[in-house]
Amino acid sequence: MIQRQATNENVPESAGNGAAVSRFLDGGWRKTKNAAVLLWASKTAMVGLLLVVFWVGTALLAPYVTRYSPTEQDWKAPNQGPSIHHILGTDELGRDLWSRLAYGARIVLVILPVTEKFWIPGGTAIWGVFASLLLGAALGLVSGYRGGWIDEIIMRALDAMMSIPIILLYLIIVAAIGASAVNVVLAIAIVGTPGVARLVRGLTLDIRTRDYVRAAETRGEGILYILFVEILPNAKGPIIIDAMLRVGYAIFAMGTLGFLGLGLPPPSPDWGSMVAKGREFILSGSPWAALWPAVAIASLVVGLNLLADGLREEAMRYQ
Amino acid sequence: MAKFIVRRFLLLLLTMFLVSIAVFLISEASPGNVAKNVLGAFITPEQEASFLAQMGLDKPVATRYLYWLVGSDWHARHKIGLPLKRVTTPRGFEEWWAVNRQGELTRWMLDGDNLVAIIRTADGKTLKRVDNRRWHTDAKGRQRFWGVDRQNHAVLWEKGNRRKVWTFIVGAGWKKTSGGPISYIPLKKGFLRGDPGVSLRTGRPVAKSLFVRLRNSLVLAAIAFVIVMPLALLLGVIAGLKEGSFQDRFLSIGGMMFSVVPEFVTGIFLILIVAQWLKLVPGATVFGEKAPWTRPDMLVLPVLTLTLIELGYVLRITRASMAEVMRTPYIRTAFLKGLPYRKVIFGHAVRNALIAPITVIMLHVNWLLGGIVIVEVVFGYPGLGAYLLDSALYKDVNALEAGTMIMVMIAVGTQLAADIIYTFLNPRIRYS
Repeated sequence: MIQRQATNENVPESAGNGAAVSRFLDGGWRKTKNAAVLLWASKTAMVGLLLVVFWVGTALLAPYVTRYSPTEQDWKAPNQGPSIHHILGTDELGRDLWSRLAYGARIVLVILPVTEKFWIPGGTAIWGVFASLLLGAALGLVSGYRGGWIDEIIMRALDAMMSIPIILLYLIIVAAIGASAVNVVLAIAIVGTPGVARLVRGLTLDIRTRDYVRAAETRGEGILYILFVEILPNAKGPIIIDAMLRVGYAIFAMGTLGFLGLGLPPPSPDWGSMVAKGREFILSGSPWAALWPAVAIASLVVGLNLLADGLREEAMRYQ
Repeated sequence: MAKFIVRRFLLLLLTMFLVSIAVFLISEASPGNVAKNVLGAFITPEQEASFLAQMGLDKPVATRYLYWLVGSDWHARHKIGLPLKRVTTPRGFEEWWAVNRQGELTRWMLDGDNLVAIIRTADGKTLKRVDNRRWHTDAKGRQRFWGVDRQNHAVLWEKGNRRKVWTFIVGAGWKKTSGGPISYIPLKKGFLRGDPGVSLRTGRPVAKSLFVRLRNSLVLAAIAFVIVMPLALLLGVIAGLKEGSFQDRFLSIGGMMFSVVPEFVTGIFLILIVAQWLKLVPGATVFGEKAPWTRPDMLVLPVLTLTLIELGYVLRITRASMAEVMRTPYIRTAFLKGLPYRKVIFGHAVRNALIAPITVIMLHVNWLLGGIVIVEVVFGYPGLGAYLLDSALYKDVNALEAGTMIMVMIAVGTQLAADIIYTFLNPRIRYS
């Protein structure tokens, strides 16, 4: 999934869909209602929305919906199946799996733990996507608007980056800078940048021929004004849709990195590393510690994709 | 066309060059070092320094990159003043020897203050003789000598220098010797001349391990590919025949679910269901030294995981392409002129609908590579991906570089191949 963005960037198509969806997503009460109607019309989008809302809700309310802290160890009950005390069971150190899942969702979607004590709002996956949007949009705007040798250099460099297998990029980046939440954000951002840059460049090439850009040029506006005030706001529809899918890739990437031991350092309740740890105990007859985080990742990623797919499909139908 | 291919080929070489530099620099800048990773956190600073020196890691980055790229033997040869030769022993080890004036293969060792030459005779035996004539005195009055030691290094010895050296021998532990060399150059031919060097982690030549790993990975990928392609194309065509029908929605949503879920999650589910619950096939792969095809039952789950992930992706592309073709005027015309349904589908629709997926699939190898790395880790499959991961974690730069180069070559090479195939499938496209 992460790799799809690299190989199959279909700019015109997603641009069209994105514009349609953005028309629904663009502020205003009537439009919000339209979006709700749209969602309601598509069963798959509804299912997706439910899954996403479930996880976002769990992440936001993690301290209220769990009975234990994610690091609290119960030495008398390691590797247990679901029971009244632990709804989903416990892991090899007797930590409550439901608590770990809920706090894991929190790290993915709601908070970014910068250090052990200090965190900032906005999940790790969200920050990763946001950073790649910033970087990619800047590169794509400059490249598309200026053209010429700047465009050539930027695009060739990004092409070279895209031709490297993504997994390798992740491996090298994270193995090099070490495992922490901030570095996972960095890795997601670096890997996502070429795709965003390409999309934004394609949109910019189209928008820069519009009359309002000409008008701004004639007025003598600076390049920064034209890029960020004239072009970027008019390209935001497709970028928003792309970003939604990218959150899915980012969760995918976070899980994979965690599984490879390159994610958040223990004892953080990182879904990927929970699966990796739980895997060791499958053979000894306690599959729960591996099963639940795997279910969590699958449901969240599938939910996001169902939502984006359903929205896009319905938007196209009413276009 | 020829110009296009040459240009793209040069671009491939440029990409590989840039990536190799990037990998070198990144692994340089990252914290930790290979000595601690291989030998554990409790080695003394002297042991660490000694290990790094023997691996040639105390040299500047530029020098090491140059050695890695074009080899170090030409440099060592300049220092030693004798030609160097790489021989393969009957037991399969690669050894570097200097060729002395009499044409004999020679190495040296230090015995107290005596320099001992080890001569390799034609029948593979060795004989020793004292060779003190080779010491020469430098400007500061030190007696020094550049020679080849018994561990494939070009080394600088100094008479009377009681420098301590720690050698780590697997199974035996640390061996401490004194009178060791002052400086080491690990001998290798360089990547461009087909020698990616020795793995810092295992001490084995990278080329040998890599060949076995690459073969294993290719076996896995090939089996998955052979299963996925016909199945995905078939299901994609079925789904695309009637857009919006039940089977379309079922297949495309099912395909989407499998293709967006991370590989390791699919793998874990399969292990839990097939191996743990139904107990049909083993949930891990253990081959030892044997080839993967000797245990087909162990291949089932890795192949199935790869298949499910790839299936969804190819299916969705085929479906989109097929649905698009079904809406074109020529299909309507074919129906209207009264051709039988089967003839319209197989004669007109399918042939046109398969152009897009076939090229997209080639472009998709990049993703397949990523999937294989994860699947290999999940099932403990001894392939290229697992090797790369270990090398990256240990900072085993020789192995990491070699694996990276192979991966980039495969990924970029297939993209080039896809572009070329596309011009044959779709004559309207021309590259200038």
